[in-house]
Amino acid sequence: MRSRSRRKRITVIAALGLAAGWSLAAKASDRVKGGALATGKADATARPVAQTAQTPELPYVYTKWEQFTTKDGLPNDHIFAVKADGDRVWIGTEDGLARLDKKTRRIKYWKEEDGLPWQVVAAIDVHPGTGDVWLGLFGGGLARFSGGRFDHWHQLNSGLVNDVVYGVAVENDNVWAATTAGASRYNTVTGEWSIFTEKNAPMEEIWNYGVCAADGFVFLGVWGSGVLEYDIERGTWKDYLDPDGEMEIDLYRDDGIVHVITTGVSFVEKTLWASTYFGASRYDGRHWRGYFDHDSGLPSNFSNAVQGRGANEAWFATDKGLGALMDFPTDTWVTYTTDHKTHKGKALVQRGSEVIAEFETAPNIPHNYVLWVDCDGDDVWVGTSKGLGHAIGEGYYPGLKVADRVTMGPRADERTTGRRAIP
Amino acid sequence: MKERRWCTVVLGAGVLTFAVVVAATALSASDTGVADRHPVYVGVRVCSECHADAVSGHQFSLWRVSKHAEGYASLWTAESKKIAELSGIREEPQEAAACLGCHATGADAEEWEKEEHFHVEDGVQCERCHGPGSEYISREIMMDREKAMMAGLKMPTQRECMMCHNVKGSHVAIIGSSVFDPTEGMKRIAHPIPDSEPAAIAPTKMAKDAKAVKHKYVGVPKCGECHGGPMMNYQFSRWRQSAHARAYAVLGTFGAYETAGAAGVKGNPQESPKCLRCHSPGSDLAEDNFLPGFDPGDGVQCESCHGPGSEYYPEAIMRDPAAARKFGLQPVGNKTCMACHENAHGREFDVEAGMRKIAHPTRPTETDRHSLGPRYKTPLNLALSPDGCELYVACEASDTVIIVDVATREAVGEISTGGQPTDVAFNPDGTLAYVTNRLDDTLAVVDTRSRKVVQTIAVGDEPHGVLTDPRGKLIYVLNTSADSISVIDAETLTEQKRLPASRGPWSLSISPDGRRIAATNTLSRFVEFRTPSISEVTIIDTERAVIEDRVEVPGANLMQGVAWHPSGSFAFVTLNRTKNLVPMTRLVQGWTITNGLGVIWRDGQVDQVLLDEPDMCFPDAADVAFSPDGRLAFVTSSGSDCVAVVDVNKLIQMLNSASEYERAHVFPNHLGKPTEFVVKRIPTRNSPRGILFSRDGKTAYVANALDDSLSVIDVDKLEAVARIDLGGPDVITKVRYGERVFHSADITFHRQFSCHSCHPDGHVDGITYDIEPDGIGISPVDNRTLRGILDTAPFKWEGTNPSLQRQCGPRLAVFFTRIDPFTPEELTALDNYICTIPRPPNRYRPLGGKLTPAQRRGKTVFERTTTNDGRVIPVENRCATCHFAPLFTDRTRRNVGTKMSLDRESDFDVPHLNNIYDSAPYLHNGISETLEEIWTKYNPYDQHGVSNDMTKDQLNDLVEYLKTL
Repeated sequence: MRSRSRRKRITVIAALGLAAGWSLAAKASDRVKGGALATGKADATARPVAQTAQTPELPYVYTKWEQFTTKDGLPNDHIFAVKADGDRVWIGTEDGLARLDKKTRRIKYWKEEDGLPWQVVAAIDVHPGTGDVWLGLFGGGLARFSGGRFDHWHQLNSGLVNDVVYGVAVENDNVWAATTAGASRYNTVTGEWSIFTEKNAPMEEIWNYGVCAADGFVFLGVWGSGVLEYDIERGTWKDYLDPDGEMEIDLYRDDGIVHVITTGVSFVEKTLWASTYFGASRYDGRHWRGYFDHDSGLPSNFSNAVQGRGANEAWFATDKGLGALMDFPTDTWVTYTTDHKTHKGKALVQRGSEVIAEFETAPNIPHNYVLWVDCDGDDVWVGTSKGLGHAIGEGYYPGLKVADRVTMGPRADERTTGRRAIP
Repeated sequence: MKERRWCTVVLGAGVLTFAVVVAATALSASDTGVADRHPVYVGVRVCSECHADAVSGHQFSLWRVSKHAEGYASLWTAESKKIAELSGIREEPQEAAACLGCHATGADAEEWEKEEHFHVEDGVQCERCHGPGSEYISREIMMDREKAMMAGLKMPTQRECMMCHNVKGSHVAIIGSSVFDPTEGMKRIAHPIPDSEPAAIAPTKMAKDAKAVKHKYVGVPKCGECHGGPMMNYQFSRWRQSAHARAYAVLGTFGAYETAGAAGVKGNPQESPKCLRCHSPGSDLAEDNFLPGFDPGDGVQCESCHGPGSEYYPEAIMRDPAAARKFGLQPVGNKTCMACHENAHGREFDVEAGMRKIAHPTRPTETDRHSLGPRYKTPLNLALSPDGCELYVACEASDTVIIVDVATREAVGEISTGGQPTDVAFNPDGTLAYVTNRLDDTLAVVDTRSRKVVQTIAVGDEPHGVLTDPRGKLIYVLNTSADSISVIDAETLTEQKRLPASRGPWSLSISPDGRRIAATNTLSRFVEFRTPSISEVTIIDTERAVIEDRVEVPGANLMQGVAWHPSGSFAFVTLNRTKNLVPMTRLVQGWTITNGLGVIWRDGQVDQVLLDEPDMCFPDAADVAFSPDGRLAFVTSSGSDCVAVVDVNKLIQMLNSASEYERAHVFPNHLGKPTEFVVKRIPTRNSPRGILFSRDGKTAYVANALDDSLSVIDVDKLEAVARIDLGGPDVITKVRYGERVFHSADITFHRQFSCHSCHPDGHVDGITYDIEPDGIGISPVDNRTLRGILDTAPFKWEGTNPSLQRQCGPRLAVFFTRIDPFTPEELTALDNYICTIPRPPNRYRPLGGKLTPAQRRGKTVFERTTTNDGRVIPVENRCATCHFAPLFTDRTRRNVGTKMSLDRESDFDVPHLNNIYDSAPYLHNGISETLEEIWTKYNPYDQHGVSNDMTKDQLNDLVEYLKTL
């Protein structure tokens, strides 16, 4: 296997400060005092361009970003899947699988000529016990990367229902694959393949987009069939459909999932997060909550994926930026976008539809077309159509904090001298 | 039709029960997704309700006196056990699927498929040939043959007879059974319904004894619940084979009518009190003297002599003789016998001889015990206790671990651990030893102080290598047939996870720093068709218990032994380099199978060197060990009965001074190089396998598998200085001799390989060979397992060899070995051994076990007769036509559309499907890596069964069912 190391490159690191007169002014000035950024872009000093007086508590805002593209060693800039795995990050691209070593900042990748069974890696999950990496291959089936060896299952050599795999999830000894013709479950111990389609599950459509497994359940995000919940112990299914049918508007707010064309699911702290092409949803087992671009910080209703960080925080990958619901009780969002012309980033803090703060930063996400997001401790990894973004969460805190205690990323001098700032 | 008098007693209730059971069955079937009308077995007793009397031609009685009725019972005999042994069946014949498939009915059926009155012990009963009867058993349907057949009644032909009566080598060898003539066989079991009731029959009304008794008859099936099987010395089966069991049934024969007539009995003897008094004692009593289950049709049964058992039959009472007598168990003496036998039919009766004839002791006699051959030990691997005082030796054939005292060099203990112990390892403080039982799929934990197995836990299929991490926290077990590694918490003895290995993980060795474990894999990975093997050494990170690396060893297979050098810089693995892409006849050029070592460097680089020399090969390198100072490596050759002594420094220096090209392309095949680093070959006893050094490095111990001994090697002298006898039998049986022949390379030119080289331990090496001498690759064939092949003749994929004698005879010398063929004595012994190679029980379903929903659906697919759109599948193209139980082969050659450009023939032998999951790849040339590919890629025109109409989930179900066969 070829080993390709690339020196890490931090394209832009956002700088952030707060305007005079605000309670954090002093701390913000400390941050700015550090001087030049690693990239030498002096104008990257951040400042709030909008604020309201009624914002005593703020969420954590990611101000320090780094970006990875083919120039940094990625095999391709179209990032379909990202999975943090301890000291490593696995990156699925349109043309290869990549592995970023967090310590060395080196990227190694595998293409078809290196043994990768299929070029398009659309989904990734890691078995927590074995460390094996499971890959959903868009058009190529399912693969396991274990100890440097790729094993390949497809619809001709195995019981996999279809080779167009959008999602993959490890559940105990099973691996689930969301495919365009149903869901497949592979038992890695017995070798048994099970198929779930309209025949044996409440799957009105069989085009499975997303899958996740946690806490005794497996959830499928199905294009046209909402979210399906599989109780592992009981072996039973439950469906979550839009009470408004297939209408693209939400007639009655919070009466169920916002739409049945579901793209992603995430279940964490007994809370289900779902992304659809017409908004996003949260379900705590009792109450639904819907989110749209016009009434929340969701950058767009067209969501490609969702990653829940907890019951109160979730990150949405949309076609117009990255939206993070940072505090569910107060409906506080942070939306990250990049102006591709000016190469400046923007972080918008909203409470519902109300903008309470807006910050100009250096570029944050590499591109506003976001396909995947993965929370990694305090950090966040973002797959976009033009590279991988890494939000560095030093000082991250969940929920909100009173403004004068808020830490909004590292100081600028830390950024220039810190480990991550080595150009 | 007339009903027998007891029909109202037993079967009247039985029919009611049956209805309830069928209803319940339907309910449970519905629960599991099975169609309600799925047929179930009702049992011969339900059939007899209508098929027992004179009007029906005494069909039940004709069956009862037939061999079919004794099919199950006959499996208890010494002959049956010998046949089973000769067939590699380790289970009791009465519990073995391969035996019961023909000796019983519905043995593999799930519980819900068997109605309450159905007993597998009734042997080959009506439904074995006519199909499960629940759907056609009603009188209304049975009166209309066409309707009955629509409901599932089968009318067997001679072909169905031959499914079981085809010549079986195992049976011929033991009981000398000859070729079965199906026409004669059909005549023998003919049971036609008479056109009219015989005029002579004028049934005599039996007088019932209205006197009720305290003790009631429970019937022999109730007795059989405790008195069957080896624990009770097969008492039930002994009775079933006796004339007593047939006593009532014989009254329905023509001869009985004659005898009865001569004695003045008119009409049906089965209704004559005079006859029944001795032929079915108790049948003259009133109905309330019987408990459900008692059938006078069982003739002279247990209670006929021992008295009605309703009060004494409970096990708790029967275990106390005094209590049993108190509750009615009657002693049996001469008077008991003479009550019926004295001058019966004018014949004298020798009571003592009669008693001997029906003797049914609860413990085996000396004759029984010695009916089977001697039990060998077959030591495979060994481990030295941490204090260096004891060797634990895993002995495959005796199912034991033998303890050897290092100081006295004597076997001092033997512990039964389970089926086929294969490897053994100690925990760090030596208080526990872990033993893998390959046949049982278990890991036995031995307390070394008490020398007892304290716990046995399930692991994966066919566990082989076993080792703990340096702290003894985790136990690693290699599941050879499941291609996985079980990681077990040593404290809780629970499996934490399974790591994916390559194919056939075999042995383990831990690095000196304890951070890495190297595991060999005996089979090559799957490779492109007709390309060289690539094998793998799997490296485990012991800190995280995950796979860290997979080192590829190109061109190698059968990597088995492994050892880390004390420096930690590299490990040695044993390997074969099988040139399966060139014709086997190239043996004379030294180009068939070469044997040697792999050097696995810490950075993942690999070197390969041979241990063969041009005129003296080193076949089947099995294990390797380093001396503690790292100066020497000892390698066993099980095919040439010796240990090669490798000067490690010389070997490493040779490698380090060579070019990259030499290391990659020359040394792996260079027969001249071993002389530079092999300093001696030390002769051992037969088939040396496991090897290790003592702690001080002065001694090495070798497990001589086929000598039941250890060789003790003096490391300074480089000589075997002692033999430690492990206590195996002195006699060498024909089978054992054959086993030695199988594992010896003496039969091949320059001793290049043995039978074991391609069929390791009788199984497969997973490789496609070019056997034919054409030299251009015609007819490549997949290697097939030898497990359970005895009764599957003809042999060879093209089916051209009618017997093993032919397969392994002169032909072998022409195509493979290129030296004098086996002598007749060797050949006979070899064939005997091959037949006895154990076949493991099916891992996916124990006999008669519950099928999973997928397996059950798959069974329906396997047995289907129509396509999804309702087209009838021609009989010749149905799965079950060629692959029927119990071996799932019709032993013919068929064209299933798999002929490829290199093939001469289009018709290939129909392989048996037993344990089909463990012998990938598939099809005659091994082109199909998985069962799925047989149909997704290699059946485009529906010639190998009709599969192209099937949905993906149906194919998945079919595959799941196939794994249960």
